[in-house]
Amino acid sequence: MNIEFLFPRTESKERHEHDVEMLEADLEEEDLKREVLTSLNSSDAFLMVTPGQRITSDPQFMKGHGTYHLPPDSMLSAVAGIVEPVNKLILVRPLHTRYTGDIGDLVIGRITEVTQKRWKVDLNSRQDGVLQLSSINLPGGVQRRKTEEDELQMRKFFIEGDLLVAEIHAFFQDGAANLHTRNSKYGKLRNGSFINVPPPLVQRCKTHFHTLPCGIDVILGLNGYIWPIDDSTREKIARVCNCINALSQNFVYINDTAIIYAYDASLKFHVRELRRLDVIDEIMSIVVAKVASSKTGFFQ
Amino acid sequence: MQTLISHSERDYILRGVESNLRADGRGRLDYRQVTFETGVISQCSGSARCRLGEGTDVLVGVKVEIGQIEFDGAEEVVGSKKAKWGRVVCNVECSPIASRQFAGRGAEDYNNELTQIMELIFNGPQAGIDLEKLCIVPGDKCWVVYVDALVLDYAGNILDTIFLTTRAALYNTRVPKTVVQEVEGMMEIEVLDDVQEAERIVGWEQIPIAVTLNKIGSRHVIDATPLEELATEAKLLVSVNKRGKICGIQKSGEGSIEPSLLNEMIQKILEALDVRLQQEEEVLANSSRGGAEVGQINIQKLGFFAAT
Repeated sequence: MNIEFLFPRTESKERHEHDVEMLEADLEEEDLKREVLTSLNSSDAFLMVTPGQRITSDPQFMKGHGTYHLPPDSMLSAVAGIVEPVNKLILVRPLHTRYTGDIGDLVIGRITEVTQKRWKVDLNSRQDGVLQLSSINLPGGVQRRKTEEDELQMRKFFIEGDLLVAEIHAFFQDGAANLHTRNSKYGKLRNGSFINVPPPLVQRCKTHFHTLPCGIDVILGLNGYIWPIDDSTREKIARVCNCINALSQNFVYINDTAIIYAYDASLKFHVRELRRLDVIDEIMSIVVAKVASSKTGFFQ
Repeated sequence: MQTLISHSERDYILRGVESNLRADGRGRLDYRQVTFETGVISQCSGSARCRLGEGTDVLVGVKVEIGQIEFDGAEEVVGSKKAKWGRVVCNVECSPIASRQFAGRGAEDYNNELTQIMELIFNGPQAGIDLEKLCIVPGDKCWVVYVDALVLDYAGNILDTIFLTTRAALYNTRVPKTVVQEVEGMMEIEVLDDVQEAERIVGWEQIPIAVTLNKIGSRHVIDATPLEELATEAKLLVSVNKRGKICGIQKSGEGSIEPSLLNEMIQKILEALDVRLQQEEEVLANSSRGGAEVGQINIQKLGFFAAT
């Protein structure tokens, strides 16, 4: 079967402006990359590979993430993604990834299981996170040791399917995240809507709790789960949800500024129209232009 | 996709349905935008791909092959009829990349369920296809129409999309001409290679499409998202052809539907389907001329596996 990949095209004008702004070091790096890619027989600026595809058999390159060695001398891709050479090291950046957490990350999770003294939490990660009974604050802000009685009524705090916002406290030996909600900001989520976006699109920020000018509170989980909250108007929530979806479909970084830009641009359309592909295109062209003109806050 | 939903989400969806403003801003009976592409796979006799918004993505390939007529075991009256019939064989597969719940063996049961519904509606005279025209040598050989659907991406409402895509793929299908000669008592079939000579499946106009209504609370919505599907008590799929005749009904889900609501739901579906069929037809008719857009449906060259 003839499989053809279509790449998003950058317009030549934008490209030019971008080049001018680029530091010389960046340019050199870019040239080096281009050189390596050419030596890998790629005529484009990209080299897209699928699992098992040979990247090179030249022994001068080193194997990085997303690649593996096939004796005697082939380097194959282990994932579907884009080849990223760093000098002589070759990595493949996958197109679709699971979330890999870090200590201190703010995440939104869904309870999948209630077990002895702990909850299992889906984090859009390779394995479920763990929320221990000892790492939650009891309702009412009571500070005390958790008793056996608390253990028996764990479902009163969180039940299967519940969404919660938490922070990654530590990691276990097997790599599972240990969460905590020992802060009044964290805990169960109510009165809002759930959105799922690719985790790499959510950037680390000082805060992940934002209040938009339109009055909606948004929690951006670093694992790609997002929760807009409001008590009164569903329409505004729907609009924010659609804006975030539009951003993620166009692979624009999702932060408060981008959401506000998208929200403002969306105001001339009815909330029902925001799912139309041409409307999304129009909004996104405005947002991308605005983001490009005010780079602060986007590339920290 | 997760299989769990929290109480507050269910409540949020319920109230949204009640106030005719769903989580993504649609009303109860609003469909997402549909994008079509026909003739995607050159090895097939006909193929189509369809996306709902930027979510659900279905690829259907139709292949016609010469096969044995099946009429054994049927009663004599039915058997004599079936001896002159071609066959339609359906298969649905949910790709593991479409959703997390389809990974491993998770999709097995669901694939079976979808295939059963497809078979129920497409394999028989109710599908509109003139089965007698598919017969080559009565009692022996016929064209078998293999309909294979592949779900590439999942964002709710798979069945409607599969039906829509299947109709487009069957519209796109060309059946080669055959010449039958009797040589020494044996029937010899010659398939003509000429592409120009190949013909559309007879009766494609009457191939049905389907719309699913999801009962949430005391009301119902069209084109549900995955979260809405989790909050759904009962689903009703109604399949209708161009003449407005019902070709199949399937109820699924754990909840119940009251008789009065059932009538109302079917009426709603009939109205929705009438519009959809007209739109699809217009779009398909224009498809040979490149891009086309009618109402909520548009046809576009996406490029196979194209990035969004």
